Amino acid sequence: MPADVLAVTLAVGARIHSKKNRVEKVSGNQDPPTRAMAGQERRIDDTILIREAQSGNRAAFEELVRHYDQAVLRLALHLTGTEHDAQDVYQDAFLKAYKNIGSFRFECSFYTWIYRIVTNLCLDHLRKKNVRKEDAPVVKDASGGEYDLLDQVPDGRAGANPERDLMRRQLGARISGALEKLTPRERMVFELKHYHGLKLRTVGEILHTTEETAKNTLFRATQKLRGQLADMR
Amino acid sequence: MKCEWVRENITLHVYGELADDARHELEQHVARCADCAAELKAEQEFHAVLSQDRAAEPTPNLLAASRMRLQEALETAEPGGFWRRLVFDPAQWLRQVSFSPALASVILILGFTGGVGTSYKVFVHPVVTSTSTVPAPVESSITGIQSVTQQPGTNQIDIKYNTVSTQEAQGSMNDQRIQQLLLFAARNNYNSGVRMDSVDLLTQKPDVSQVRDALIYALRYDTNPGVRLKALDGLGGFVKDDVRVRDVVLEALVNDSNPGVRTEALRLIEPVKADGSVRGVLMTLSAKDQSQYIKSQARTMLAQLPEID
Repeated sequence: MPADVLAVTLAVGARIHSKKNRVEKVSGNQDPPTRAMAGQERRIDDTILIREAQSGNRAAFEELVRHYDQAVLRLALHLTGTEHDAQDVYQDAFLKAYKNIGSFRFECSFYTWIYRIVTNLCLDHLRKKNVRKEDAPVVKDASGGEYDLLDQVPDGRAGANPERDLMRRQLGARISGALEKLTPRERMVFELKHYHGLKLRTVGEILHTTEETAKNTLFRATQKLRGQLADMR
Repeated sequence: MKCEWVRENITLHVYGELADDARHELEQHVARCADCAAELKAEQEFHAVLSQDRAAEPTPNLLAASRMRLQEALETAEPGGFWRRLVFDPAQWLRQVSFSPALASVILILGFTGGVGTSYKVFVHPVVTSTSTVPAPVESSITGIQSVTQQPGTNQIDIKYNTVSTQEAQGSMNDQRIQQLLLFAARNNYNSGVRMDSVDLLTQKPDVSQVRDALIYALRYDTNPGVRLKALDGLGGFVKDDVRVRDVVLEALVNDSNPGVRTEALRLIEPVKADGSVRGVLMTLSAKDQSQYIKSQARTMLAQLPEID
Protein backbone atom coordinates (compact mmCIF):
# COMPACT_ATOMS: atom_id res chain seq x y z
CA MET A 1 0.00 0.00 0.00
CA PRO A 2 1.46 3.40 -0.86
CA ALA A 3 2.45 5.52 2.13
CA ASP A 4 -0.06 8.26 1.30
CA VAL A 5 -2.99 5.85 1.45
CA LEU A 6 -1.86 4.74 4.90
CA ALA A 7 -1.57 8.33 6.04
CA VAL A 8 -5.10 9.23 4.90
CA THR A 9 -6.56 6.26 6.78
CA LEU A 10 -4.70 7.29 9.90
CA ALA A 11 -5.79 10.90 9.78
CA VAL A 12 -9.48 10.03 9.52
CA GLY A 13 -9.21 7.24 12.09
CA ALA A 14 -7.33 9.44 14.52
CA ARG A 15 -10.01 12.09 14.39
CA ILE A 16 -12.71 9.56 15.17
CA HIS A 17 -10.50 8.23 17.93
CA SER A 18 -10.10 11.60 19.56
CA LYS A 19 -13.86 12.03 19.60
CA LYS A 20 -14.16 8.71 21.41
CA ASN A 21 -11.61 9.87 23.98
CA ARG A 22 -13.63 13.00 24.61
CA VAL A 23 -16.75 10.94 25.27
CA GLU A 24 -14.81 8.82 27.75
CA LYS A 25 -13.66 11.91 29.57
CA VAL A 26 -17.21 13.20 29.93
CA SER A 27 -18.52 9.94 31.38
CA GLY A 28 -15.71 10.02 33.98
CA ASN A 29 -16.73 6.79 35.75
CA GLN A 30 -14.31 4.27 34.32
CA ASP A 31 -13.00 1.56 36.58
CA PRO A 32 -9.20 1.43 37.04
CA PRO A 33 -8.48 -1.42 34.56
CA THR A 34 -10.46 0.39 31.85
CA ARG A 35 -8.58 3.59 32.63
CA ALA A 36 -5.26 1.75 32.53
CA MET A 37 -6.20 0.25 29.18
CA ALA A 38 -7.26 3.65 27.90
CA GLY A 39 -3.88 5.03 29.04
CA GLN A 40 -2.06 2.25 27.27
CA GLU A 41 -4.16 2.76 24.15
CA ARG A 42 -3.29 6.48 24.25
CA ARG A 43 0.40 5.57 24.55
CA ILE A 44 0.21 3.25 21.52
CA ASP A 45 -1.86 5.82 19.73
CA ASP A 46 0.77 8.48 20.49
CA THR A 47 3.59 6.22 19.32
CA ILE A 48 1.91 5.77 15.93
CA LEU A 49 1.20 9.49 15.68
CA ILE A 50 4.79 10.39 16.62
CA ARG A 51 6.21 8.01 14.01
CA GLU A 52 3.88 9.43 11.38
CA ALA A 53 4.78 12.99 12.41
CA GLN A 54 8.47 12.09 12.20
CA SER A 55 7.94 10.94 8.64
CA GLY A 56 6.48 14.33 7.75
CA ASN A 57 2.75 13.76 8.33
CA ARG A 58 1.52 17.13 9.61
CA ALA A 59 -2.03 15.90 10.26
CA ALA A 60 -0.61 13.30 12.66
CA PHE A 61 1.30 16.01 14.49
CA GLU A 62 -1.82 18.18 14.74
CA GLU A 63 -3.69 15.22 16.24
CA LEU A 64 -0.85 14.77 18.73
CA VAL A 65 -1.12 18.47 19.62
CA ARG A 66 -4.80 18.00 20.45
CA HIS A 67 -3.92 15.28 22.97
CA TYR A 68 -1.83 17.70 25.02
CA ASP A 69 -2.61 21.28 24.13
CA GLN A 70 -5.32 21.97 26.69
CA ALA A 71 -3.01 20.98 29.57
CA VAL A 72 -0.17 22.98 28.02
CA LEU A 73 -2.32 26.08 27.63
CA ARG A 74 -3.62 25.75 31.20
CA LEU A 75 -0.07 25.59 32.56
CA ALA A 76 1.08 28.51 30.42
CA LEU A 77 -1.98 30.57 31.34
CA HIS A 78 -1.49 30.15 35.08
CA LEU A 79 2.25 30.74 34.96
CA THR A 80 2.29 33.74 32.68
CA GLY A 81 -0.94 35.28 33.95
CA THR A 82 -2.14 36.63 30.60
CA GLU A 83 -3.87 35.02 27.64
CA HIS A 84 -1.52 36.77 25.25
CA ASP A 85 1.64 35.41 26.86
CA ALA A 86 0.05 31.99 27.29
CA GLN A 87 -0.72 31.88 23.57
CA ASP A 88 2.89 32.81 22.78
CA VAL A 89 4.23 30.03 25.00
CA TYR A 90 1.74 27.56 23.46
CA GLN A 91 2.76 28.56 19.95
CA ASP A 92 6.51 28.47 20.62
CA ALA A 93 6.28 25.13 22.43
CA PHE A 94 4.44 23.26 19.70
CA LEU A 95 6.45 24.82 16.90
CA LYS A 96 9.63 23.80 18.70
CA ALA A 97 8.22 20.29 19.14
CA TYR A 98 7.32 20.15 15.44
CA LYS A 99 10.78 21.26 14.36
CA ASN A 100 12.47 18.77 16.69
CA ILE A 101 10.10 15.83 16.41
CA GLY A 102 12.71 14.09 14.26
CA SER A 103 15.10 13.97 17.20
CA PHE A 104 12.52 12.49 19.59
CA ARG A 105 13.96 9.04 20.42
CA PHE A 106 11.24 7.59 22.70
CA GLU A 107 13.67 7.72 25.64
CA CYS A 108 10.93 9.37 27.69
CA SER A 109 7.21 9.73 27.13
CA PHE A 110 5.98 12.41 24.74
CA TYR A 111 4.15 13.86 27.77
CA THR A 112 7.45 14.44 29.60
CA TRP A 113 9.09 15.72 26.42
CA ILE A 114 6.44 18.33 25.62
CA TYR A 115 6.22 19.42 29.28
CA ARG A 116 10.01 19.84 29.27
CA ILE A 117 9.73 22.21 26.31
CA VAL A 118 6.86 24.15 27.86
CA THR A 119 8.44 24.45 31.30
CA ASN A 120 11.69 25.71 29.77
CA LEU A 121 9.79 28.39 27.87
CA CYS A 122 7.81 29.31 30.99
CA LEU A 123 10.98 29.48 33.08
CA ASP A 124 12.48 31.89 30.54
CA HIS A 125 9.28 33.92 30.71
CA LEU A 126 9.35 34.00 34.53
CA ARG A 127 13.00 35.06 34.56
CA LYS A 128 12.32 37.89 32.15
CA LYS A 129 9.24 38.88 34.15
CA ASN A 130 11.31 39.05 37.35
CA VAL A 131 13.65 41.49 35.61
CA ARG A 132 10.74 43.63 34.40
CA LYS A 133 8.90 43.49 37.72
CA GLU A 134 9.66 47.09 38.62
CA ASP A 135 7.54 48.24 35.69
CA ALA A 136 4.49 46.21 36.72
CA PRO A 137 1.25 48.07 37.45
CA VAL A 138 1.46 47.35 41.17
CA VAL A 139 0.22 49.92 43.68
CA LYS A 140 -0.07 50.01 47.47
CA ASP A 141 -3.36 49.96 49.36
CA ALA A 142 -4.17 51.92 52.52
CA SER A 143 -2.50 49.36 54.79
CA GLY A 144 0.68 49.39 52.68
CA GLY A 145 0.06 45.98 51.04
CA GLU A 146 0.81 45.68 47.32
CA TYR A 147 -1.82 44.66 44.82
CA ASP A 148 -1.93 44.36 41.06
CA LEU A 149 -4.12 46.90 39.29
CA LEU A 150 -5.18 44.31 36.74
CA ASP A 151 -6.71 42.18 39.49
CA GLN A 152 -9.13 44.99 40.24
CA VAL A 153 -10.83 44.79 36.84
CA PRO A 154 -14.34 43.49 37.58
CA ASP A 155 -15.64 40.25 36.16
CA GLY A 156 -18.46 41.28 33.86
CA ARG A 157 -19.72 37.79 33.13
CA ALA A 158 -23.44 37.34 33.54
CA GLY A 159 -24.55 35.19 36.45
CA ALA A 160 -21.43 35.79 38.54
CA ASN A 161 -21.98 36.07 42.28
CA PRO A 162 -20.35 39.44 43.04
CA GLU A 163 -19.56 38.75 46.72
CA ARG A 164 -18.11 35.31 46.17
CA ASP A 165 -16.34 36.56 43.08
CA LEU A 166 -14.72 39.38 45.06
CA MET A 167 -13.51 36.95 47.73
CA ARG A 168 -12.22 34.56 45.10
CA ARG A 169 -10.33 37.34 43.38
CA GLN A 170 -8.88 38.66 46.62
CA LEU A 171 -7.67 35.18 47.57
CA GLY A 172 -6.31 34.63 44.06
CA ALA A 173 -4.52 37.98 44.10
CA ARG A 174 -2.88 37.28 47.47
CA ILE A 175 -1.73 33.84 46.37
CA SER A 176 -0.50 35.16 43.01
CA GLY A 177 1.49 37.85 44.81
CA ALA A 178 3.08 35.24 47.06
CA LEU A 179 3.84 32.91 44.13
CA GLU A 180 5.61 35.71 42.31
CA LYS A 181 8.07 36.04 45.18
CA LEU A 182 9.29 32.48 44.65
CA THR A 183 12.28 31.81 42.42
CA PRO A 184 11.28 30.65 38.91
CA ARG A 185 12.33 27.09 39.70
CA GLU A 186 10.47 26.98 43.04
CA ARG A 187 7.43 28.42 41.30
CA MET A 188 7.60 25.78 38.59
CA VAL A 189 7.90 22.85 40.99
CA PHE A 190 5.04 24.20 43.10
CA GLU A 191 2.91 24.85 40.01
CA LEU A 192 3.39 21.36 38.58
CA LYS A 193 2.75 19.70 41.93
CA HIS A 194 0.00 21.81 43.46
CA TYR A 195 -2.02 23.00 40.47
CA HIS A 196 -1.35 20.20 38.02
CA GLY A 197 -1.04 17.23 40.42
CA LEU A 198 2.11 15.77 38.85
CA LYS A 199 4.20 13.30 40.83
CA LEU A 200 7.49 14.80 42.05
CA ARG A 201 9.31 12.04 40.20
CA THR A 202 7.78 13.29 36.94
CA VAL A 203 8.51 16.89 37.92
CA GLY A 204 12.17 15.90 38.41
CA GLU A 205 12.26 14.26 34.96
CA ILE A 206 10.70 17.30 33.33
CA LEU A 207 13.11 19.71 34.99
CA HIS A 208 16.16 17.50 34.39
CA THR A 209 16.76 16.97 38.09
CA THR A 210 16.29 14.29 40.75
CA GLU A 211 13.13 13.51 42.68
CA GLU A 212 15.01 14.39 45.85
CA THR A 213 15.86 17.87 44.57
CA ALA A 214 12.25 18.37 43.49
CA LYS A 215 11.15 17.41 47.04
CA ASN A 216 13.53 19.90 48.61
CA THR A 217 12.40 22.62 46.21
CA LEU A 218 8.72 21.95 47.01
CA PHE A 219 9.51 22.14 50.74
CA ARG A 220 11.30 25.49 50.31
CA ALA A 221 8.49 26.88 48.14
CA THR A 222 5.80 25.86 50.63
CA GLN A 223 7.74 27.33 53.56
CA LYS A 224 8.08 30.64 51.73
CA LEU A 225 4.40 30.68 50.83
CA ARG A 226 3.38 29.94 54.41
CA GLY A 227 5.50 32.86 55.54
CA GLN A 228 3.93 35.16 52.94
CA LEU A 229 0.37 34.07 53.62
CA ALA A 230 0.61 33.53 57.37
CA ASP A 231 -2.41 35.73 58.11
CA MET A 232 -4.72 33.79 55.82
CA ARG A 233 -5.03 30.64 57.92
CA MET B 1 16.10 15.08 65.46
CA LYS B 2 12.88 13.16 64.97
CA CYS B 3 10.79 16.32 65.19
CA GLU B 4 13.09 18.02 62.70
CA TRP B 5 12.72 15.12 60.26
CA VAL B 6 8.93 15.20 60.66
CA ARG B 7 8.73 18.92 59.95
CA GLU B 8 10.84 18.57 56.86
CA ASN B 9 8.54 15.87 55.57
CA ILE B 10 5.13 17.22 56.52
CA THR B 11 4.72 18.98 53.16
CA LEU B 12 5.45 15.76 51.28
CA HIS B 13 2.96 13.96 53.54
CA VAL B 14 0.22 16.47 52.75
CA TYR B 15 0.90 16.08 49.03
CA GLY B 16 0.90 12.26 49.28
CA GLU B 17 4.53 12.05 48.23
CA LEU B 18 5.94 10.13 51.21
CA ALA B 19 6.93 6.49 50.85
CA ASP B 20 4.67 4.09 52.79
CA ASP B 21 7.22 3.34 55.53
CA ALA B 22 8.06 7.04 56.01
CA ARG B 23 4.37 7.92 56.13
CA HIS B 24 3.81 5.27 58.83
CA GLU B 25 6.75 6.61 60.84
CA LEU B 26 5.47 10.18 60.56
CA GLU B 27 1.94 9.24 61.62
CA GLN B 28 3.27 7.30 64.61
CA HIS B 29 5.34 10.28 65.71
CA VAL B 30 2.55 12.80 65.26
CA ALA B 31 0.25 10.66 67.44
CA ARG B 32 2.74 11.05 70.31
CA CYS B 33 4.11 14.57 69.76
CA ALA B 34 1.75 17.52 70.34
CA ASP B 35 4.05 20.08 68.66
CA CYS B 36 4.36 18.06 65.45
CA ALA B 37 0.61 17.34 65.52
CA ALA B 38 -0.02 21.11 65.64
CA GLU B 39 2.44 21.63 62.81
CA LEU B 40 0.69 19.00 60.69
CA LYS B 41 -2.69 20.62 61.38
CA ALA B 42 -1.33 24.04 60.39
CA GLU B 43 0.12 22.63 57.18
CA GLN B 44 -3.15 20.89 56.32
CA GLU B 45 -5.11 24.11 56.95
CA PHE B 46 -2.71 26.06 54.78
CA HIS B 47 -3.02 23.46 52.05
CA ALA B 48 -6.81 23.75 52.26
CA VAL B 49 -6.62 27.54 51.83
CA LEU B 50 -4.32 27.20 48.81
CA SER B 51 -6.59 24.58 47.29
CA GLN B 52 -9.44 27.10 47.07
CA ASP B 53 -7.44 28.83 44.35
CA ARG B 54 -7.49 26.71 41.21
CA ALA B 55 -5.66 27.18 37.93
CA ALA B 56 -8.34 28.40 35.51
CA GLU B 57 -9.10 26.24 32.49
CA PRO B 58 -8.46 28.05 29.21
CA THR B 59 -11.70 29.17 27.59
CA PRO B 60 -12.81 27.29 24.44
CA ASN B 61 -12.29 30.50 22.47
CA LEU B 62 -8.69 30.86 23.64
CA LEU B 63 -8.01 27.21 22.86
CA ALA B 64 -9.59 27.51 19.40
CA ALA B 65 -7.68 30.72 18.64
CA SER B 66 -4.38 29.14 19.78
CA ARG B 67 -5.01 26.07 17.62
CA MET B 68 -5.77 28.20 14.58
CA ARG B 69 -2.66 30.31 15.05
CA LEU B 70 -0.53 27.21 15.43
CA GLN B 71 -2.10 25.59 12.38
CA GLU B 72 -1.22 28.62 10.28
CA ALA B 73 2.37 28.60 11.53
CA LEU B 74 2.72 24.87 10.87
CA GLU B 75 1.85 25.44 7.21
CA THR B 76 5.20 27.11 6.71
CA ALA B 77 7.29 25.35 9.38
CA GLU B 78 9.72 22.58 8.49
CA PRO B 79 9.60 19.44 10.64
CA GLY B 80 12.57 17.26 11.60
CA GLY B 81 15.83 17.44 13.52
CA PHE B 82 19.37 18.35 12.59
CA TRP B 83 20.71 14.80 12.27
CA ARG B 84 17.73 13.68 10.22
CA ARG B 85 18.59 16.24 7.58
CA LEU B 86 22.10 14.86 7.25
CA VAL B 87 21.09 11.22 6.88
CA PHE B 88 19.72 10.19 3.51
CA ASP B 89 16.94 7.68 3.91
CA PRO B 90 15.51 6.52 0.55
CA ALA B 91 12.24 5.22 2.08
CA GLN B 92 11.80 8.49 3.91
CA TRP B 93 12.50 10.40 0.73
CA LEU B 94 9.86 8.45 -1.19
CA ARG B 95 7.28 9.18 1.51
CA GLN B 96 8.10 12.85 1.43
CA VAL B 97 7.71 12.82 -2.32
CA SER B 98 4.23 11.43 -1.91
CA PHE B 99 3.32 14.20 0.55
CA SER B 100 4.82 16.99 -1.52
CA PRO B 101 2.19 19.47 -2.69
CA ALA B 102 4.06 19.89 -5.96
CA LEU B 103 3.38 16.24 -6.72
CA ALA B 104 -0.15 16.19 -5.36
CA SER B 105 -1.46 15.39 -8.81
CA VAL B 106 0.49 12.13 -8.70
CA ILE B 107 -1.73 10.92 -5.91
CA LEU B 108 -4.84 11.99 -7.76
CA ILE B 109 -3.92 10.33 -11.00
CA LEU B 110 -3.01 7.12 -9.17
CA GLY B 111 -6.54 6.81 -7.87
CA PHE B 112 -8.23 7.24 -11.23
CA THR B 113 -6.00 5.69 -13.83
CA GLY B 114 -5.43 2.41 -12.08
CA GLY B 115 -1.71 2.98 -12.20
CA VAL B 116 -1.40 1.02 -8.99
CA GLY B 117 -0.72 -2.65 -9.42
CA THR B 118 0.71 -2.64 -12.91
CA SER B 119 1.67 -6.23 -13.67
CA TYR B 120 4.23 -7.43 -16.17
CA LYS B 121 6.51 -10.33 -16.78
CA VAL B 122 10.29 -10.43 -17.19
CA PHE B 123 12.66 -13.29 -17.87
CA VAL B 124 15.76 -13.98 -15.86
CA HIS B 125 17.75 -15.01 -18.96
CA PRO B 126 19.20 -11.90 -20.65
CA VAL B 127 18.22 -13.07 -24.15
CA VAL B 128 14.55 -13.49 -23.16
CA THR B 129 14.34 -10.12 -21.39
CA SER B 130 13.89 -8.40 -24.72
CA THR B 131 10.48 -10.13 -25.07
CA SER B 132 9.10 -8.18 -22.11
CA THR B 133 5.96 -6.30 -23.21
CA VAL B 134 6.54 -3.25 -20.98
CA PRO B 135 9.64 -1.03 -21.08
CA ALA B 136 11.89 -1.39 -18.04
CA PRO B 137 10.71 1.07 -15.36
CA VAL B 138 12.92 3.89 -14.14
CA GLU B 139 14.09 2.98 -10.64
CA SER B 140 13.03 6.29 -9.10
CA SER B 141 9.43 5.82 -10.33
CA ILE B 142 8.94 2.55 -8.39
CA THR B 143 7.17 3.13 -5.07
CA GLY B 144 7.21 -0.51 -4.00
CA ILE B 145 7.17 -4.16 -5.06
CA GLN B 146 3.91 -5.90 -4.16
CA SER B 147 4.85 -9.52 -4.86
CA VAL B 148 7.46 -11.71 -6.55
CA THR B 149 6.45 -15.26 -7.61
CA GLN B 150 8.11 -17.84 -9.86
CA GLN B 151 5.79 -20.02 -11.92
CA PRO B 152 6.39 -23.69 -11.02
CA GLY B 153 8.46 -25.67 -13.52
CA THR B 154 9.42 -22.62 -15.62
CA ASN B 155 11.98 -19.84 -15.39
CA GLN B 156 9.24 -17.21 -15.62
CA ILE B 157 8.86 -14.72 -12.78
CA ASP B 158 5.79 -12.56 -12.04
CA ILE B 159 6.43 -9.24 -10.32
CA LYS B 160 3.70 -6.84 -9.23
CA TYR B 161 4.93 -3.34 -8.50
CA ASN B 162 3.58 0.18 -7.97
CA THR B 163 4.76 3.18 -9.91
CA VAL B 164 4.20 6.90 -9.82
CA SER B 165 4.24 9.31 -12.72
CA THR B 166 3.40 13.02 -12.78
CA GLN B 167 0.45 13.90 -14.98
CA GLU B 168 -1.47 17.05 -15.60
CA ALA B 169 -5.16 17.51 -16.22
CA GLN B 170 -6.78 20.58 -17.73
CA GLY B 171 -10.43 21.40 -18.27
CA SER B 172 -13.43 23.44 -17.12
CA MET B 173 -15.57 22.83 -14.06
CA ASN B 174 -18.05 20.97 -16.28
CA ASP B 175 -15.39 18.41 -17.16
CA GLN B 176 -16.19 15.16 -15.31
CA ARG B 177 -12.51 14.30 -14.87
CA ILE B 178 -11.71 17.71 -13.36
CA GLN B 179 -14.65 17.34 -10.99
CA GLN B 180 -13.46 13.90 -9.91
CA LEU B 181 -9.93 15.13 -9.27
CA LEU B 182 -11.24 18.06 -7.24
CA LEU B 183 -13.48 15.73 -5.22
CA PHE B 184 -10.47 13.54 -4.48
CA ALA B 185 -8.29 16.52 -3.53
CA ALA B 186 -10.99 17.95 -1.25
CA ARG B 187 -11.07 14.80 0.82
CA ASN B 188 -7.54 13.46 0.72
CA ASN B 189 -4.94 16.12 0.17
CA TYR B 190 -2.52 16.90 2.97
CA ASN B 191 -1.96 20.47 1.94
CA SER B 192 -4.80 22.54 3.35
CA GLY B 193 -4.18 25.17 0.65
CA VAL B 194 -4.97 22.58 -2.05
CA ARG B 195 -8.05 21.44 -0.11
CA MET B 196 -9.18 25.04 0.26
CA ASP B 197 -8.78 25.72 -3.49
CA SER B 198 -10.58 22.47 -4.38
CA VAL B 199 -13.50 23.12 -2.02
CA ASP B 200 -13.71 26.70 -3.26
CA LEU B 201 -14.05 25.50 -6.87
CA LEU B 202 -16.51 22.79 -5.91
CA THR B 203 -18.83 25.37 -4.36
CA GLN B 204 -19.62 26.39 -7.95
CA LYS B 205 -21.42 23.06 -8.44
CA PRO B 206 -23.25 22.37 -5.19
CA ASP B 207 -26.25 20.97 -7.08
CA VAL B 208 -24.19 17.92 -8.14
CA SER B 209 -24.90 15.24 -5.54
CA GLN B 210 -21.27 14.05 -5.21
CA VAL B 211 -20.06 17.62 -4.82
CA ARG B 212 -22.59 18.27 -2.07
CA ASP B 213 -21.43 15.09 -0.31
CA ALA B 214 -17.83 16.32 -0.50
CA LEU B 215 -18.80 19.71 0.96
CA ILE B 216 -20.69 18.00 3.79
CA TYR B 217 -17.64 15.83 4.43
CA ALA B 218 -15.33 18.88 4.46
CA LEU B 219 -17.58 20.78 6.88
CA ARG B 220 -17.78 17.81 9.19
CA TYR B 221 -14.22 16.48 9.15
CA ASP B 222 -11.72 18.95 7.68
CA THR B 223 -9.16 20.07 10.27
CA ASN B 224 -8.71 23.51 8.72
CA PRO B 225 -11.37 26.08 9.73
CA GLY B 226 -10.86 28.00 6.47
CA VAL B 227 -11.84 24.90 4.45
CA ARG B 228 -14.85 24.34 6.70
CA LEU B 229 -15.96 27.94 6.17
CA LYS B 230 -15.72 27.56 2.38
CA ALA B 231 -17.75 24.34 2.54
CA LEU B 232 -20.32 26.10 4.70
CA ASP B 233 -20.66 28.90 2.16
CA GLY B 234 -21.18 26.37 -0.61
CA LEU B 235 -23.90 24.56 1.32
CA GLY B 236 -25.74 27.71 2.43
CA GLY B 237 -28.29 27.67 -0.40
CA PHE B 238 -29.50 24.16 0.44
CA VAL B 239 -30.33 24.60 4.11
CA LYS B 240 -34.02 24.97 3.23
CA ASP B 241 -34.41 22.03 0.87
CA ASP B 242 -31.86 19.42 1.93
CA VAL B 243 -32.32 17.96 5.43
CA ARG B 244 -28.79 16.49 5.38
CA VAL B 245 -27.35 19.95 4.78
CA ARG B 246 -29.51 21.42 7.55
CA ASP B 247 -28.29 18.72 9.95
CA VAL B 248 -24.61 19.25 9.16
CA VAL B 249 -24.94 23.02 9.50
CA LEU B 250 -26.61 22.52 12.89
CA GLU B 251 -23.82 20.14 13.85
CA ALA B 252 -21.25 22.81 12.98
CA LEU B 253 -23.24 25.40 14.94
CA VAL B 254 -23.21 23.25 18.07
CA ASN B 255 -19.87 21.44 17.90
CA ASP B 256 -17.39 23.31 15.72
CA SER B 257 -14.28 24.45 17.59
CA ASN B 258 -14.00 27.64 15.56
CA PRO B 259 -16.15 30.65 16.56
CA GLY B 260 -16.16 32.01 12.98
CA VAL B 261 -17.60 28.77 11.59
CA ARG B 262 -20.25 28.72 14.32
CA THR B 263 -21.26 32.32 13.68
CA GLU B 264 -21.58 31.66 9.94
CA ALA B 265 -23.63 28.50 10.61
CA LEU B 266 -25.96 30.53 12.83
CA ARG B 267 -26.44 33.07 10.04
CA LEU B 268 -27.23 30.35 7.51
CA ILE B 269 -30.00 28.72 9.56
CA GLU B 270 -31.85 32.03 9.87
CA PRO B 271 -34.31 31.18 7.02
CA VAL B 272 -35.26 27.86 8.66
CA LYS B 273 -35.34 28.98 12.28
CA ALA B 274 -38.99 27.94 12.59
CA ASP B 275 -38.11 24.31 11.86
CA GLY B 276 -38.53 22.04 14.92
CA SER B 277 -34.95 20.75 15.02
CA VAL B 278 -33.52 24.25 14.51
CA ARG B 279 -35.75 25.70 17.21
CA GLY B 280 -34.58 22.97 19.61
CA VAL B 281 -30.92 23.78 18.93
CA LEU B 282 -31.53 27.53 19.32
CA MET B 283 -33.21 26.97 22.69
CA THR B 284 -30.23 24.94 23.91
CA LEU B 285 -27.76 27.56 22.68
CA SER B 286 -29.71 30.46 24.18
CA ALA B 287 -29.74 28.70 27.55
CA LYS B 288 -26.18 27.53 27.98
CA ASP B 289 -23.78 28.32 25.18
CA GLN B 290 -20.32 29.44 26.28
CA SER B 291 -20.18 32.18 23.65
CA GLN B 292 -22.09 35.27 24.70
CA TYR B 293 -22.56 36.28 21.07
CA ILE B 294 -24.09 32.95 20.00
CA LYS B 295 -26.25 32.94 23.12
CA SER B 296 -27.66 36.41 22.49
CA GLN B 297 -28.16 35.82 18.74
CA ALA B 298 -30.01 32.57 19.45
CA ARG B 299 -32.26 34.42 21.91
CA THR B 300 -32.97 37.14 19.35
CA MET B 301 -33.86 34.58 16.68
CA LEU B 302 -36.16 32.73 19.08
CA ALA B 303 -37.85 35.98 20.09
CA GLN B 304 -38.72 36.63 16.45
CA LEU B 305 -40.55 33.30 16.16
CA PRO B 306 -44.29 33.00 16.82
CA GLU B 307 -45.21 31.25 20.08
CA ILE B 308 -46.10 27.55 19.81
CA ASP B 309 -49.53 26.79 21.28
